Amino acid sequence: MPATNRTGDIAPAERTPAERAADHAALARLADTLVPALAGKLGAGSLGEIEIREDGWAVRVRRSAPDAGRRASDRSADRARHTGLPGHTGPHAPHAPAQAPVAEPVASSDGPVHAAATAPVVGVFRPGLSVGARVRTGDRIAVVDLLGIPQDVAAPVDGVLVEVLAQAGDGVEYGQEVAVIEAAAPKAAPAAPSTDGEG
Amino acid sequence: MVSRILIANRGEIALRILRACRTLGIEAVVAYSEADRESLPAMLADEAICIGPADARRSYLSAPALISAALVTGCDAVHPGYGFLSEDDAFADAVRAHGLTFIGPPADVLDKFASKAEVRRLLATHGLPTVPGSGLLADEEQALAEAARVGYPVLLKPSAGGGGKGMRMVRSPRELAAVLPICRSEARAAFGDDSLYLEKWLEDNRHVEIQVAVDKYGHGVHLWERDCSIQRRHQKILEESPSPAMSAAGRKELAERAIKAVVAAGYENVGTLEFLVDSEGNAYFIEINCRIQVEHPVTEMLTGIDLVATQIRIASGEPLGFAQEDVPQRGHAIEFRINAEDPAHDFRPGAGTIERFNAPGGPGVRFDSHAYVGYEVPPYYDSLLGKLIVWAPTREGAIARGRAALSELIVDGVTTNVAIHRALLQSEPFLSGKFTTNLLDRVGGAAFLAAAERPG
Repeated sequence: MPATNRTGDIAPAERTPAERAADHAALARLADTLVPALAGKLGAGSLGEIEIREDGWAVRVRRSAPDAGRRASDRSADRARHTGLPGHTGPHAPHAPAQAPVAEPVASSDGPVHAAATAPVVGVFRPGLSVGARVRTGDRIAVVDLLGIPQDVAAPVDGVLVEVLAQAGDGVEYGQEVAVIEAAAPKAAPAAPSTDGEG
Repeated sequence: MVSRILIANRGEIALRILRACRTLGIEAVVAYSEADRESLPAMLADEAICIGPADARRSYLSAPALISAALVTGCDAVHPGYGFLSEDDAFADAVRAHGLTFIGPPADVLDKFASKAEVRRLLATHGLPTVPGSGLLADEEQALAEAARVGYPVLLKPSAGGGGKGMRMVRSPRELAAVLPICRSEARAAFGDDSLYLEKWLEDNRHVEIQVAVDKYGHGVHLWERDCSIQRRHQKILEESPSPAMSAAGRKELAERAIKAVVAAGYENVGTLEFLVDSEGNAYFIEINCRIQVEHPVTEMLTGIDLVATQIRIASGEPLGFAQEDVPQRGHAIEFRINAEDPAHDFRPGAGTIERFNAPGGPGVRFDSHAYVGYEVPPYYDSLLGKLIVWAPTREGAIARGRAALSELIVDGVTTNVAIHRALLQSEPFLSGKFTTNLLDRVGGAAFLAAAERPG
């Protein structure tokens, strides 16, 4: 069963509050009706990514990378990840200000929304919280040691830690997915990427 | 010998280092930023590891990220390539402190050769000619006396300066007296220090550099010169060897003085000494580059010596293994830098996806490039897409091979500077070998192209 991501992006630069509310409503509608259908399509075929545009909004559904380690041999499946970063408005648009990589909410096709926590730096993984722990956005789940200095792996959403993907002492690269959070309120997720001020 | 190297760089030089590792039987791990995930070196390496975001300050310029990546991937050495942290003595020292071998000069050597002014003084004491100049100028009277001694025109320079700020070229005592107070106030405003000195202004100069290699045991050789006078805005775009401006005796003498001076001064590993050569053939030392250089393949074509492998062997503590008489200067080589930039529009850098691509081939043709069909040229880094190097027994032969090879090169989807190279191979100053560093900048890229297109 393929995991899929959904991202609402290409937020128009200037929208009035009323327009923005309409945008959100449209996005929620798109997410509710389209995403399951698209996820099904994506699961059946070999496409890595499908994008639907409507009323100035786009919903992009893409297959997540099968291997968080991203070795050269299987990197092609991962291509969509960095070519479709939100915030790109053209070939010369700079990346968003340097921050830890954005973890995108991941919806499996049958309901609960999962989000991956990623390594903020390249280094040695040390686990922290155990599976089952309740977390708030920004909580430290684990750390990555950068030359002995611990750097927090932060929870990307409120929810429950359902899986830790790295072992104690593992070397992890920048942006590698190291833990999975099941989001507390699945319905909140589509509205979360209303990226005001981005774009 | 080291056994597993982290390549702390990107683009064509990462690929070049990877090739040297493979020929030496050394494993190679490529460190890449998020923007270089799909790059050729990352794909071809034994292992590739993401070290940070596109922003070089958090990836290729982050010493902690690079050293951490080397440690978690089990490397025992780091090759910094060129640019980025390649000449940073603090990085070299940190690499060593973590038990890794830095492929380049040791930290103390980098530190010793870091300051341009210090290095000029140091190498002058070991017999290298430097640009005639003054010490700090106390007042107008002293400035006039020093300028008269050095000879007009002179370049007035702030001691604390850099980047051309506060510099003035003056042609007469009257002009010097007039601009001295202006330069002082500009220097004070820009650097908080109004001390000035002056240097002889070398009007029509060429840029000639001597490649050297010195092992840990003080055994050094020179690998002859490269002429890098074809530049745009002080950036080299075409390099060749031998220099068409130097006589056989002149180049031998300069190369021998250069290697003698750097060995005496305690240099170690591969390096390059840069000289300005004036219209009378006098060479003046300006600086040393303590790294592998973009144009190193020119020397490799002439000598048959792998300079990157030599760097790795020297850093591993091996003796050089060859003597000066084993370094031939055979035939003629020209390198064309293929940049993603538009020569018709002020060399504006470009980005985009390569849609069609063909690398030139044939006898005496080498193409070092990380380009491939579908490669997205990221906008974050320098614009070098590849280097075409041609070799032939004579300069005329190399030019003919250059023309043939450039006609085979296809890069669609991204604007490149290939047109400027084709124009150079039609231009009288280039063909006759009589050109100086301002050949392109005097008229500008667009005008140079237009002139080449005119028939006759």
